[in-house]
Amino acid sequence: MEEKSIISIRKLTKNYGSASVLKGIDLEVQKGEVVAVIGPSGSGKSTMLRCINAMEQLSGGDILLNGESIRQMKKLPRLRQKVGMVFQHFNLFPHMTVLKNVMYAPVTVRGELKPKAEEYAMELLKKVGMYEKRDAYPATLSGGQKQRVAIARALAMKPEVLLFDEPTSALDPEMVGEVLTVMKQLAKTGMTMIVVTHEMGFAREVADKVVFMDEGIVMESGSPQQVFEETENERVKAFLAKML
Amino acid sequence: MSELIHVAVKYRALLLNGARVTLIVSLLTILFGLFFGVLMAFLKMSKVKALRALANIYVEFIRGTPVLVQIFLVYYGLPLMGVEIPSIVVAGFDISRILSGTLALVINTTAYVCEIVRGGIESIDYGQTEGALALGMSPARAMMAIVFPQAMKNILPSLGNEFITIIKTSSQISVIGIADLMYTADTIRGISFKPMEPLIIVALIYFLMTFVISFMLRQAEKRMRKGYAR
Repeated sequence: MEEKSIISIRKLTKNYGSASVLKGIDLEVQKGEVVAVIGPSGSGKSTMLRCINAMEQLSGGDILLNGESIRQMKKLPRLRQKVGMVFQHFNLFPHMTVLKNVMYAPVTVRGELKPKAEEYAMELLKKVGMYEKRDAYPATLSGGQKQRVAIARALAMKPEVLLFDEPTSALDPEMVGEVLTVMKQLAKTGMTMIVVTHEMGFAREVADKVVFMDEGIVMESGSPQQVFEETENERVKAFLAKML
Repeated sequence: MSELIHVAVKYRALLLNGARVTLIVSLLTILFGLFFGVLMAFLKMSKVKALRALANIYVEFIRGTPVLVQIFLVYYGLPLMGVEIPSIVVAGFDISRILSGTLALVINTTAYVCEIVRGGIESIDYGQTEGALALGMSPARAMMAIVFPQAMKNILPSLGNEFITIIKTSSQISVIGIADLMYTADTIRGISFKPMEPLIIVALIYFLMTFVISFMLRQAEKRMRKGYAR
C-alpha cells in the first residue's frame, strides 16, 4: 500500500524583512503519523508550524495539504478547519465557559446543531478529563487544565491534522505530565500530530518521526532511534546532551 | 435656600425645556458618537494605509482644537457649504434647531470614542485573535465574537467618563443660541436679575444627569465583571 502524505512541506522559506528564519524546509507527514519537531530556541520550529495553518505567510516554497497547495487556497478558514492548532499560551476565550469554548466554533463555523455539538464537546471533555469543569471559566483553571481544554477545543472541529506549538512550555513542571498523557492517548487514536516540543521523553516515546531543526533548516530527521541514538551530526549530539 | 426654590418653581417651564434640550442633544451625541467612534476605530486599525492616515489626521485635529471653535466652525460652515437644514419635528420638538450644535458635538465625540475603543481592542492579547482564527473563524467573527466582547470590559469605564463629559460639554452649544440648560440659566438671569440662583439650579440639574449615568455604568460594569473573573 502506497503511503500518501497528508502534509508535504517543500522548500519552505520564511523571511522577516532581511532576516531569514526558514531556509528551505522539506518535510513529509503521513496520515496518522506523530512528528516531533525539536531543536534550540530560534531555530524556526514554531514558525514552520505556523506556516502549515497559514498563521504565517510563506515567503517561498509550498505546503501541500492532501496534495493541494495551501498557497492556492483562497479561504484560509477552510484550511484551518482541517488543520487545528494548540498554542503554548492556550488562548482560551476567557469570556466563555469551558463547554462554550469547545463548542463555539463547531456551531458557528461548521454550522453544527447545538445539541449535537454539545454532546460531542462533552464527550471530548470527558476524554481530556475536564468534563467536571465544563461550566467553569478559564480563569479558574490551572495551566494544565487550560491546555487540556484547548486540546478538546481543537479536536471539536474534527481536524485532519493537529499542530502543537510547545504545548507544555508555559506549564508548571507538575502539570506537564497530565497534558502529555492526553497527547499520548490522542496519538494512539491515530490522530496526525505535529508537535513542536522540548519534551525529549515525549518525542522519543510517542513520536513516529523526530525532526531536528536548527538555524532554519532540518538538520536531522528519522525515527526516534535514528535521531536519539544513531545520529552522527555534532549539532544534534550537542543539543541532546544538553537536553537529556 | 428659599430663594433658590422660589426661582426654580417660578421658572420651572424654562428649566424643564432647557433640561430636555440638553438631554436630547447629549443622547443623540452619545448614540451617534458611539457609532461613528467605533467606525473610526476600525478605520484607524485598518490594513489600508490611506484609511489609517485619514483617521489619524481626523483624531489628532479634533483632539487638538477647542470644542468651542468646532461648534462655531460647523455653525457657520454648514450654510457656507450650502447645506440647508430642513425642519424635522420629532415628538413636538424641532430637531433642526439643535442639529448644527449636535453635529459639532458628534464630530468631537467621535474622535475621543475612537481612541477609547481602539485602546480597548488593542489591549486584548493577539493570542485571542490567533486562537479564533486557528479554529477556522473569519477575521470578522474573531473580532466581533472573541476580541470585541473582551475589549468592551476594558472600554466601558472610559466610555462612561466620555458620556459624562458629553453632557457637560454640551453646555457650550448655548453660544450658538440653542436653548439648552446653560442657555436657560442665562435667560433666567436676564429676566430675574438674580446672578447666582439660576446657575446653582442648573448646576444641580447637570449633576443629577451625570450622576444617574455614572450610577448606571457602575451597575453595568458590576454585571460584566460577575460574568468571568480574570
